[in-house]
Amino acid sequence: MSQKPDNHFKVEQAAASDDSIQQVHAQLLGQKPEKKDGYPMLPLVFLGVMCSAVFFGSIYMAHNSVRFDPLVVNEHAKREKPGAVKVAAVSPHDLGKRVFKNTCMACHQENGLGVPGAFPPLAGSEWAQGPEDRVIRIVLLGLNGPITVKGQEYNSAMASLGGVLKDDQIANALTYVRSEWGNTASAVTPEAVAKVRAELAGRTAPWTAAELLKIGN
Amino acid sequence: MNSNDQNARAEQQEIDASAKWPVLVFFGSALLWLLLGGALQLAANIQLHTPGFLSGCEWFTHGRLAPAAQNALIYGWGMNAAFAFGLWLMARLSATTLRHGGWLFVAAKFWNLGITLGIGGILAGYSTSFELLEMPRYVTLLLLVAYAIIGVWVVTTFSIRNTENVYASQWYLFGAAFWFPWLYTIAQVMLFKAPVRGVLQPIVNAWYVHGLFGLWFVPVALAAIYYFLPKLLGKPISNYYLAPLAFWWLVASTALAGGSRLIGAPVPVWIPSLGIVANMMLVLPLVIIGLNFLGTLSGRFGAVGGSLTLRFIVLSIAGFLLSSVLGLALSMRSFAAIMQFTLLVGLRDWLAFYACFSTAMFGAAYFFLPRLTGKEWRSTALVKAHFGATALGVVLLTVGLAVAGSQQGHLLNDPAVPFGDITKALAGWHTFNSVVLGVLLVGHVAFLINFIWIACPINSQGTAVAQITNPPVLSLAAKEGHA
Repeated sequence: MSQKPDNHFKVEQAAASDDSIQQVHAQLLGQKPEKKDGYPMLPLVFLGVMCSAVFFGSIYMAHNSVRFDPLVVNEHAKREKPGAVKVAAVSPHDLGKRVFKNTCMACHQENGLGVPGAFPPLAGSEWAQGPEDRVIRIVLLGLNGPITVKGQEYNSAMASLGGVLKDDQIANALTYVRSEWGNTASAVTPEAVAKVRAELAGRTAPWTAAELLKIGN
Repeated sequence: MNSNDQNARAEQQEIDASAKWPVLVFFGSALLWLLLGGALQLAANIQLHTPGFLSGCEWFTHGRLAPAAQNALIYGWGMNAAFAFGLWLMARLSATTLRHGGWLFVAAKFWNLGITLGIGGILAGYSTSFELLEMPRYVTLLLLVAYAIIGVWVVTTFSIRNTENVYASQWYLFGAAFWFPWLYTIAQVMLFKAPVRGVLQPIVNAWYVHGLFGLWFVPVALAAIYYFLPKLLGKPISNYYLAPLAFWWLVASTALAGGSRLIGAPVPVWIPSLGIVANMMLVLPLVIIGLNFLGTLSGRFGAVGGSLTLRFIVLSIAGFLLSSVLGLALSMRSFAAIMQFTLLVGLRDWLAFYACFSTAMFGAAYFFLPRLTGKEWRSTALVKAHFGATALGVVLLTVGLAVAGSQQGHLLNDPAVPFGDITKALAGWHTFNSVVLGVLLVGHVAFLINFIWIACPINSQGTAVAQITNPPVLSLAAKEGHA
């Protein structure tokens, strides 16, 4: 260390040989640290730090990994275990309500009372609660001409829905209509609709009330 | 005793002579890339506040300039400098000559050819879309072949060592020699050769980027710090018995910590969570390494001012601690929510790469280049200019990026502020950062001139011959800092 500081900027002089650096540090690795009051403090502190790091790391993982689910990208997601959530049962009545709202409600109204003078009611209707062979036929191919419902005469047309609605949709809608608003007729199964659809193969003309009255007696 | 000393000196001269040309070739190429990369980086930064700058030329649009600068600095300067330093230190600490150095020239040629083609490819518009892997696919094989030679040389030099004991610097160099090819080949295969699908790609990319800094550049810098502290202070590393624990803990945690770059990204949430936990685990090695370094330095700060290498090494320690702390902060979900897409994230990587790694390489170069060439540094003024520019640049750019980053983060989180206003608000800071990058570039030019005077056979004729004294033997008695 006898050089002037500037000489250090020209050439750096080493203060230890490579050999001795390795030897001394190898000795240091084998040496126990100095003890104070009987225990080496530093290793104990690090043991504590390591343990708490592992402990809190595990807790953090448990809270934020969402069970290593590959489909969850948000740590706040509450994704239940498969099977932990019961599948909500949906009845044909509920499914039918949706079909009714989309397809039937425009004419027959939400309360099933129709529009006096234009569209016949379904609530309390002897037709709606009549033989299922008749109501299935009405929905499949539509209805044309005069019809008497609950003592009132109606004369309009109902469109054919057989091409728009599937068997189970028709069955559900009819089940809904036949058990809503105080109606108490039996449910309609998709099989029954399929059977009628098969019987009617080839026919496209809408029904008349007189024709229907001959069926399902 | 005297003849023993002479033998030791002769042995070291033999080792240095065997390492001279490979190391000079790697370090010379590194410096050229440092200047080119720095110039590109400056140009890219100028475009942030003066968008019209160079915009007329397709090759220098920001989308090409920024990755080209990044790749030139990382693979051109960073890797070449790490090769030069790593080969030299491994030979020194293994007390064996670098054998068959001619192969290393071949490796240097391949490596630099690969980088040249890669940077050209990026500027010509053939870059890929993955961070730090932007170089077109055709350079991958060149780089891997070149790296294979270099890595094999480091590992074989270690395995034919003539020493009984192995030192901490060797752990880190030996480890890094394996971690880089591991990271690079896996990233290349999973992103280009047989690309994984969709959301897996950014995960692999983040893992690679994090690993490149944490398992390549930082370990090489740590190797330099562990070596030069006892070497120049003449004092063993304090609490050295904890260093192996820090080594293993650092490696295991860093390898898993890449996911912390993906906080809030639409990836399976356990990946960022694991990254966060792994990052928090880094507190332990951070404290140990901090104790090792600062404990050794304590009471000896007076010696730092007189030694150029130590000045750079102290900068490097500061850079390591700062980048680690910033890394910890950025892996907190609440902090990341504000700061994730700001300049602050760039600051973390820049601190690891420049403030920690590059300064360590500068310090190392001021030590090993006079030993390899037998010459001393010709211009003390240029040496001082280099250190001054680097220290000033590191401090100012840290401040610039940190303040601008936090301002940007808060503005981005305010729905009332239009995006254009944020860009305008940051223009002043971008200008500031351009000036700082210019200062750093001036320092690098000063270093290059001194390098040419010491290393270039023609220009070094007039440079004085270095007088290198035989270092004293380190003893345990020197442990408690009798200066």
